Amino acid sequence: MAPVLVMLFGGISASTELFTHLWQTVLPDYIANTLLLGVLVVLLSLIFGVTAAAIIFHTNVIGKNSLRWLLMLPLAMPAYLVAYLYTDLFDYAGPIQRALREWFSWQSPADYWFFDIRTLPGAALILSLVLFPYVYMLARTAFEQQDQTLLKASRTLGLSAQQSFFKIALPLARPAIAVAASLVLMETLADFATVQYFSVNTLTTAIYDTWLGYGDLAAANALASVLMLFILFAVIAEQKARAGQRHQSHSPDKNHEVALLNTVQQVFACGFCWLLAIGGFILPFSLLIIMALEYSDVEQLIALLPTGKNSLEVAFYAATITSFIALVLGLYRRMCRDRWRTLPQQISGFGYAIPGTVLAMAMLATFGPLDHWINNLAEIAGMQEPGLILSGSIFGIIFAFVVRFAAIANGTIESGINQIPHSVDFAPPSLGAGLAKTLHKVHIPLLKPSILVAWLLVFVEAMKELPAVLLLRPFNFETLSTQIYQLISDEMLEQGALGAILIVLFGLLPIIFLNKNNEKKNNKNIEENT
Amino acid sequence: MSDLLEIHQLSVKLQNKVILSDVELSLQAGDILGLVGPSGCGKTTLLNVIAGFIEPCSGQLTIGKEIKVSADNMIAPEHRNIGMIFQGYALFPHLTVEANIRFGIDKLSKQEQAKRIDPLLDLLKLGELTQRYPHELSGGQQQRVAIARALAPQPKLLLLDEPFSNIDARLRNELMIEIRQLLKHLNMTAIFVTHNKDEVFTFADKIAVMHQGNILQTGLPSAVCKQPGSWQVADFLQLGSWLPVVVQVLEQSNSLISAIGDFVLEKTPLKNDPIAEVHSDSIEIEEFIAGSNQNESLQLLIKPQFIELCKSDAPANVQVEHISITEQGYHYLLSSLSRDNCLKFDQLSFYTDVLLTIGQQIKIAIKSHDFVVFSNINP
Repeated sequence: MAPVLVMLFGGISASTELFTHLWQTVLPDYIANTLLLGVLVVLLSLIFGVTAAAIIFHTNVIGKNSLRWLLMLPLAMPAYLVAYLYTDLFDYAGPIQRALREWFSWQSPADYWFFDIRTLPGAALILSLVLFPYVYMLARTAFEQQDQTLLKASRTLGLSAQQSFFKIALPLARPAIAVAASLVLMETLADFATVQYFSVNTLTTAIYDTWLGYGDLAAANALASVLMLFILFAVIAEQKARAGQRHQSHSPDKNHEVALLNTVQQVFACGFCWLLAIGGFILPFSLLIIMALEYSDVEQLIALLPTGKNSLEVAFYAATITSFIALVLGLYRRMCRDRWRTLPQQISGFGYAIPGTVLAMAMLATFGPLDHWINNLAEIAGMQEPGLILSGSIFGIIFAFVVRFAAIANGTIESGINQIPHSVDFAPPSLGAGLAKTLHKVHIPLLKPSILVAWLLVFVEAMKELPAVLLLRPFNFETLSTQIYQLISDEMLEQGALGAILIVLFGLLPIIFLNKNNEKKNNKNIEENT
Repeated sequence: MSDLLEIHQLSVKLQNKVILSDVELSLQAGDILGLVGPSGCGKTTLLNVIAGFIEPCSGQLTIGKEIKVSADNMIAPEHRNIGMIFQGYALFPHLTVEANIRFGIDKLSKQEQAKRIDPLLDLLKLGELTQRYPHELSGGQQQRVAIARALAPQPKLLLLDEPFSNIDARLRNELMIEIRQLLKHLNMTAIFVTHNKDEVFTFADKIAVMHQGNILQTGLPSAVCKQPGSWQVADFLQLGSWLPVVVQVLEQSNSLISAIGDFVLEKTPLKNDPIAEVHSDSIEIEEFIAGSNQNESLQLLIKPQFIELCKSDAPANVQVEHISITEQGYHYLLSSLSRDNCLKFDQLSFYTDVLLTIGQQIKIAIKSHDFVVFSNINP
């Protein structure tokens, strides 16, 4: 938390002259782009996600069982990869336009119209294609958990199944959908590589350019502070939405009716869902595999090893430390009767909202001076100067990851802890066991699956995270994501196709794992109901 | 009066399991029917078929004159003009009390809506609560809102799925009487499902006992209690205990032999008041005895009020196994002292004001009354 405050402070104290300069030149554009992008992505994600969730849960669409989980896979795709692959596919020199020109014997771009993907709407489309699963997952879960007697009641009061969906199911799912929308908004505001690649100037790209391009830390801080304000808005929206999620029946009736679609509806519903699954995952992943098959060789594989090792190392440390802290905070909250016991967990959860770029700026703003101070101290003490040990080592990256992903681990472990009945806390002391033994023998073994999931989620997010690493990495330190980003910037992704596949595969792990757990729970529910 | 609801040979299969088979039921306009049965017997399924949430696989269902449902002619729930009150009430949590009640009639003009809603608010004493949300109401208030919501569209038939199961035991009776008066006042036809027979006696005009997907018996509650059509009905309604008896056919009279004495069957009272033959295992005793084998064992239904305690010096025939205290005095479970395998029992229910001790051996006798006998029971 402290680094963000330092950054805000630095941002405010940045010379007003510089800020007015920014305001008079590029800042309004950047802000407008950022806002427009956010609005577009949220809208598209809502349309994609809610419609898909409604189709999957409320209708008998063909291929429902495969689509259920296929629609979650786009989450594993880093947006900048999809952006690159689609640009390759759809731009003037790409195979689609070439084929069109050949078929219709068009000569030049003047002969026909074709959409340009490297624009703001294009970036919005790409981001929504990989972010809509947030909405889809939360909306579907919300529909699944609704008490189905509410829909039945609506039917007996004269409303058709369709009307009941819009008047009952959708309004009741609204808090969950709002949470998902604010997650999408946070991810969009945090995105750096996609907009950078599409040359859409937003606040994140501006921060990056101001720092790395012009070396102006104060201005970068100022921009990061502006971005932070937008994020704050998203966070408040999310908190408000969560506060609305309180009505739940105690033993909801889960046996639900499925609307039977006619052929035309079936074609549309099926087409819609498959388009999303193909557009968000199947097509880009296939393109990657084709690319890898065409261009990869053993040499590349060997070249992959050191960067891969860096990625794994950073992700491993980040995941382990974050899970450990989350476990300690979660147990502290459960076991202590202190009035403020929830506070540390809440504060540490705030980090997820902070875009990697902003976080990196905050780290630099804080640890840079701290490093200088340490070096000065060492000099005075007559020791060898340790160099930039905080801001210039992987310590900075790992620290940033821990801050950024604490919320994920907290949430997962917290829900695990909540599933342990409170009586379990009281049983061991009644049997003469102390706190240490209680935790060691009872809670931690019970929490093992949650800890594993938390670890896995953080690990994967850390593998994917790009902007923070870009800004904080020591010289010549490459991870898979920075390497791929570099190759994408140089239009040479072919060289990194294998690494990209690796990132996607790692990203699939938690989705598959979580989905399996979910299905198990669902099956159990169904068995209990029949 | 004509029948408002008619169900003919209705069957339902869910996932290849027969849930209802050949159900027959009819209900006159203005009647309240209590549908009882053990859990899993198909009560709620039957209610859902009537409401339109489950399709029948065969048979017909007629509601009023217009609505005729069969397997080939499914009518959606919203077109059946049926009101339903769900077990957890299913109030819409995102709407106020008023918006909940208005939900089914929001196509009417504002004046029409007020005309319907205002009297309901008065009748159900909800006037003060219109702007509250469901989670701000007590269980009883929620139920009143659910009733107002279901009644606002003026349904022909009201279905209630275990409406009183979430209500405090102390308030339950009061509410049942209140709501029954309301439904009678509106001349509403209703079916309500419960697994609590006492609720039926308080709330319903007619009772239908279900068992394994079938309706075993329908009728006035008093008539069903007096003459249960099958042992399952008697067993579910806990009308009494089972006393094993053996038939003895003699020249002058027939008698039933039991562990607590023999009953000589005089023919006259039985003739005047024969036991109804409703189902295969309910038997008119005389007819049965005429055609039965000597020594065949049967089960006699003994209601507690027909058992009396004999003088303490008489030779004992039963032993006290369990004592509990009730408003009707002490309640004892008795076991037989007889060693005869065919005749012995261990769960005879008996009430008296006399205090006995566990293990005490006493003599009881059965007062003369119309006997109800069943064969092949499996309680």
